[in-house]
Amino acid sequence: MPVSRPIRGSSRLDQIIVGTCVLLSLLALVMPGTVREPVASVFRQSVLAPLIMLQERAELSRRAFMLHEERMETRDSVTMKALSVAALQSENSRLREIIGLGQRLKWGFVPAEALHGRGVRDAYSVVLSAGTNAGVRRLSPVVAPEGLVGAVERADPTMSQAILWTHPDFRVSAMSQDGSTFGIAQAHLGAGPNRFLMELRGVSFRTELKPGMLIVSAGLGGTYPRGIPIGTVMSELKTAEAWARTYILRPAVSPTDVNSVMILRQERVAEGVEGVWQQGGPTEATLRAILAAGDSLARTAALQEAAARRAAIAAMRTDSIRAAGGTTPVTPRPQPTQPQPTQPQPQQPLPVPPVEPQRDSVVRLGPPIGARRDSTTPPRRRDR
Amino acid sequence: MRFAPLLRALASFALLVVLHYTLRPLLGWRAPMDFLLIALLLIAVRARPGVAAIVGFAIGFVADSLTPAALGAGAVAMTLVGYGASWLKAVFFADNIALNAFFFFLGKWAFDIIYFLAERRLGGIELVQQLILWSPLSAAVTALAGVVLLVVMRPLLEPSPS
Repeated sequence: MPVSRPIRGSSRLDQIIVGTCVLLSLLALVMPGTVREPVASVFRQSVLAPLIMLQERAELSRRAFMLHEERMETRDSVTMKALSVAALQSENSRLREIIGLGQRLKWGFVPAEALHGRGVRDAYSVVLSAGTNAGVRRLSPVVAPEGLVGAVERADPTMSQAILWTHPDFRVSAMSQDGSTFGIAQAHLGAGPNRFLMELRGVSFRTELKPGMLIVSAGLGGTYPRGIPIGTVMSELKTAEAWARTYILRPAVSPTDVNSVMILRQERVAEGVEGVWQQGGPTEATLRAILAAGDSLARTAALQEAAARRAAIAAMRTDSIRAAGGTTPVTPRPQPTQPQPTQPQPQQPLPVPPVEPQRDSVVRLGPPIGARRDSTTPPRRRDR
Repeated sequence: MRFAPLLRALASFALLVVLHYTLRPLLGWRAPMDFLLIALLLIAVRARPGVAAIVGFAIGFVADSLTPAALGAGAVAMTLVGYGASWLKAVFFADNIALNAFFFFLGKWAFDIIYFLAERRLGGIELVQQLILWSPLSAAVTALAGVVLLVVMRPLLEPSPS
């Protein structure tokens, strides 16, 4: 360490200075806190302010550096969880649909997991986690919430093998949802993406199906019960057959999405499944019934109010005619129980509140429940 | 001390003060290095004992304002260390790295001893642990940092040829 003036002595002045400094320091040490704090505050707000700012930033930087690893681990775990959320939501939705299908079927089915293998035939068949011990038999229909999946090909005691609708040997008698047209649905077996389409063959030539029409199982042949969705019409397929039409169907069930399925037992097949795959389940039907009942009450109340108003007006008119010395008009008083609000009579010139006679039909045919609910006029409360 | 060396010494001093409030909290070691003490010692070997005492008192007092409960403890420690360093350097002068490191080590340890005794915050086994274990460690780190700084800042600290 270089020294500019190597040899120096400690003079008396230096001793006085150091003594003074030590004395001042000790004085600061014994000062009461009420005096010490303002003095320190002066230094903190003046000389030390920029240095404190530097120290604060340095400590923040150090904290950020120290937390970096932890933050990275947290971010990784959050990312992993976020990636699994979509799969969980999808699985949750799928399971809800399965539960909904089970509630609609009520009985005669066996829930099973579809185990996809990795072989060549996996596009055509799956292994199901239920077998003859659970009541599964050969040719038992395999269904999903979306519609028909396939049929059991071989049943073992604890598991079974089912062919999917993509199998070249798969056939199901099909019909349009209104039952006006029949045909045989099978895999299209086209090239590329068309491989996973279906075709409806043997449709009578005079019948023309429009795109978007739902095709369901016809129930002919005894293997598949009537009413299981198979697919929707996409377009007509031009073939050499001159006596029948063939249509391309978009299948209701994608083979890759087959994970949880229901196997219908023979007694359930015999009983039929009509109504199970209709739009809207029992819950929606119940809600519609409740709404319809509420609207009926509102309509009855409105009718009674209109009838009472007409009766009051007629009575007032009668009283005024009597007061004028005339005779009572022969106009019959309307019956409160059977009003005719949609066709105002000439003898009733005053306006009658609308009764909304189409309310029930609106409910039956109507769009979503929430929208109907909002558009429904609430019944008047007479007790206020 | 002429103008140019004084300017360089002040620049070195300012740099060390900034390092004390940036590098030290950034490292956050349990036995931290004390750049303020290094700055004081660098000043002390260039100034009279009285001046070193005044500088030490000023540095200590300002640094103590961050811990008002111990206001004055750092000041008295810095005053005595500054005065002692200036006096010792006059007696035992050597331009040797190892001796300089020992000089820094002694200065820091002495400062800690005076500081913790004057502060009276620690007592008993804690005080012994601090003075026997952590203070020597801190003094060693400070000595190491001081030596590194001496080597790095030699152009700034060299006395100009007269």
